[in-house]
Amino acid sequence: MLARIAHELFWLGRNIVRAEHTARMLDGVFQADLQGRPDDPNGVMLSWGSILAIMGGVPEGGEPIRPRRDDVLAALTLDPENPASVIACTARAREGARTVRDVLSAEMWEAINTTNLTLLEGDLSARLRTGPYSVYQYVKERSALFWGLTSRTMLRDDASAFLRAGGRLESADMVLRMLRVALPPGRVDGDGIDDAAAVRDGQALALLQAVGGFQAFRRAVQAPPDALPVGRFLLYEQNYPDSVAASVHYALDVLQKADTNPRTSEPILRLSRLGADLEFRARTDDGLAGDLSNVCASVQRELALVDGDIALRYFAGAGTTAGAVHA
Amino acid sequence: MPEPLIVKEPTVYRPPAGCFDEVFGPGGVPHEHARPLVAELARMGPEQLAAAGRRRDAIFMQQGITFDATGEDGPVKDRPFPLDLVPRIMPGAEWTQIKRGLAQRIRALNHFVDDVYHGREIVHAGIVPWNLIVSRSHFARAVHGIRPPGGVYTHVAGCDLVRDSDGSWKVLEDNVRTPSGISYVLENRVAMTRLVPSLFQSYRVRPVDHYPQLLLAALRAVAPSTDEEATVVVWTPGPMNSAYFEHAFLARQMGVELVEASDLVVRDDVLYMRTTSGLQRVHSVYRRLDDDYVDPLEFKPESLLGVPGLVRAYRAGTVAVANAFGTGVADDKAIYHYVPEMIRFYLGEEPILDNVKTYLLSDPAQLEYVLPRLDQLVVKPTSESGGKGVFIGPSTPAEELAALAEVLKAQPGKWIAQEVVKLSTVPTSGLDGTIAPRHVDLRPFAVFGETIKIVPGGLTRVAMREGSMIVNSSQGGGSKDTWVLEDGVDTDRAEPDHATPQVLPSLPDLQYGGWSDQQQQQQQAYTHVVEEEA
Repeated sequence: MLARIAHELFWLGRNIVRAEHTARMLDGVFQADLQGRPDDPNGVMLSWGSILAIMGGVPEGGEPIRPRRDDVLAALTLDPENPASVIACTARAREGARTVRDVLSAEMWEAINTTNLTLLEGDLSARLRTGPYSVYQYVKERSALFWGLTSRTMLRDDASAFLRAGGRLESADMVLRMLRVALPPGRVDGDGIDDAAAVRDGQALALLQAVGGFQAFRRAVQAPPDALPVGRFLLYEQNYPDSVAASVHYALDVLQKADTNPRTSEPILRLSRLGADLEFRARTDDGLAGDLSNVCASVQRELALVDGDIALRYFAGAGTTAGAVHA
Repeated sequence: MPEPLIVKEPTVYRPPAGCFDEVFGPGGVPHEHARPLVAELARMGPEQLAAAGRRRDAIFMQQGITFDATGEDGPVKDRPFPLDLVPRIMPGAEWTQIKRGLAQRIRALNHFVDDVYHGREIVHAGIVPWNLIVSRSHFARAVHGIRPPGGVYTHVAGCDLVRDSDGSWKVLEDNVRTPSGISYVLENRVAMTRLVPSLFQSYRVRPVDHYPQLLLAALRAVAPSTDEEATVVVWTPGPMNSAYFEHAFLARQMGVELVEASDLVVRDDVLYMRTTSGLQRVHSVYRRLDDDYVDPLEFKPESLLGVPGLVRAYRAGTVAVANAFGTGVADDKAIYHYVPEMIRFYLGEEPILDNVKTYLLSDPAQLEYVLPRLDQLVVKPTSESGGKGVFIGPSTPAEELAALAEVLKAQPGKWIAQEVVKLSTVPTSGLDGTIAPRHVDLRPFAVFGETIKIVPGGLTRVAMREGSMIVNSSQGGGSKDTWVLEDGVDTDRAEPDHATPQVLPSLPDLQYGGWSDQQQQQQQAYTHVVEEEA
């Protein structure tokens, strides 16, 4: 298939997943933020500052920031000028889908186009003020509709492989971003007590709820939702569809089928090594949460290299300069 | 500050005479902590509240948060759970006092259960008569001498509290068998954050969503020690039970199996559940059915809901059961009368929360005092719950009271009488969004594992009809989200210091793909060229 089409589909998948993850994250933090501290330290929340950091709104060096709720909500939901906002993601998805309308099924196109039109209607900004839940719920439902229609109506050819690979790699990237911000390396104070640990444990729970994986975690893991088990779950759990490991394996799987000569493909070889590495760590690594954040950083570096490899091998190099690799 | 209602709209909001209103003081001036709420409600107006109410019903129907009730036209099935959108708010200091009082009470009740089945010190001290204890229907001879791990019997407790006309909190009932309603506390809070987030604006409300974790931790803490992680299950009588929603909710939130009797089996005094990979040992059971049904070998032999041999396994110490068998004896309304004495006897403390004045009819002198005053008292059967068989004197016809008097004379031990408490009122929104005072009670939920933990607030039940004091949801009562406030009103939505993130890692920039940008630039350049040529 045409490199340009493959590239467009790959980014269509990424934009739709990014919109959904952003919506879930904002919704989760909004709900947690309405309430105060509990009697126990379990509910310390993933904060608005964390969200900005996740979405790349924090300058180099990572100074603590204390943004206001309404500013973050507005900037990351319905601000068309902010490229990281939900509406900007959806608009890009819609523009991308328009250029590949012939490849998508009519129903998929319609799903994206309607989503974009609805978000553009002024009605939503009023809803965002009175109750953001309904806006985020809408974005989540439309995303689910799109992927459902993809499964039901799109031929499982190379085109669908690039669409899905983009979606899964974006999901892995977003989850890694959230993990790295919510569970930063532990900091031991002068008196030797790790005071960051309690905060991390609380943020772990908020994180689980923000990605929608709380019940899956409960069924899969016996441990309480503290930093380490939640981090391991979102990183390694093969049976949870949004874990980094599951996303990597899925992307590997579809690309292998799309590539005529997978054994010479650098992105496939790299993903394959990364998948094996994650599985190896899942079975051997029982370290501390601090180590987990190093793992996240190295996995994210590796995924950035995968992005570059994919662009070189399949997209004739397009997009390689857009994201500088530094972490 | 909002204008006093009595000046602005003197006829709109009138708490019934002699009742304490939790939001408006005398003359319609809102209490200090309630002012932001009153202002926001006034800003929203009835239309917005009514609209949010319609969204609420739709959401509850979609999520299946429904229950069956008896309405004015007979039984109603699958009604959306009636959540009133005006929250009940409580300053942190007030809650701290309630929390201490409850913890004290639950500790005393736990001592009592232990004492009843062991040394009977309170009987020997002449405080509670032994023949009263053994005649309680929930007294369980079968568990005499068994002491569960940690000596904890009342793992899950929900005491019903009311506020008298002077605003003081009183305990109306102790529920230490299988108190229900916690799922509504959690679901109500989620619904409130979604439906009326603007009401939260000026408050810091203490979260409640950690309850399942507290419960799971307590159930694990009391499990017999094992090498592997303890297996916990929630035991439900089945989908026909009116609280099945809650059983499934708790199992899902804790990530444990929801089991029925047919899933459980006892082999060699050890409890197992049947799984696809054979029998799996169960260490800790949160049971949601009464003692009578749990084991046909020890309790009611005809029970089909029970697991034969369970009490034997329990006696052998291979399984923990919450709440412990036999706990119901502390739940009885005749025993309730003695709780303040228990607190003094076991803990050597003065009770922080008072009882409602209660008369034990088994005492001839008290019966004599009560009989002519039946029209001013509330009469309750001792072993029932959920408002069953309760007679409220002032609203009961004289001929029924006469019949009741005969019953009381025949079976005085099965009844108690209490003074009528004028329940406090809270602003409540009607179908059209208008605000009116309605009577409420409060059921906080406590979990007793290694220590006693109480979820801030609890389930506020509200009588939806004007003047009515019947708050039971099975009889048309509604509920409210209960907010325990952090001290101090917080109008600044910037993040407080405690949530200041640690030094953040610097992440790679988000990528946005390159091709379409290139392409757009090319296209724009092209359009530009075409326009220039034209």
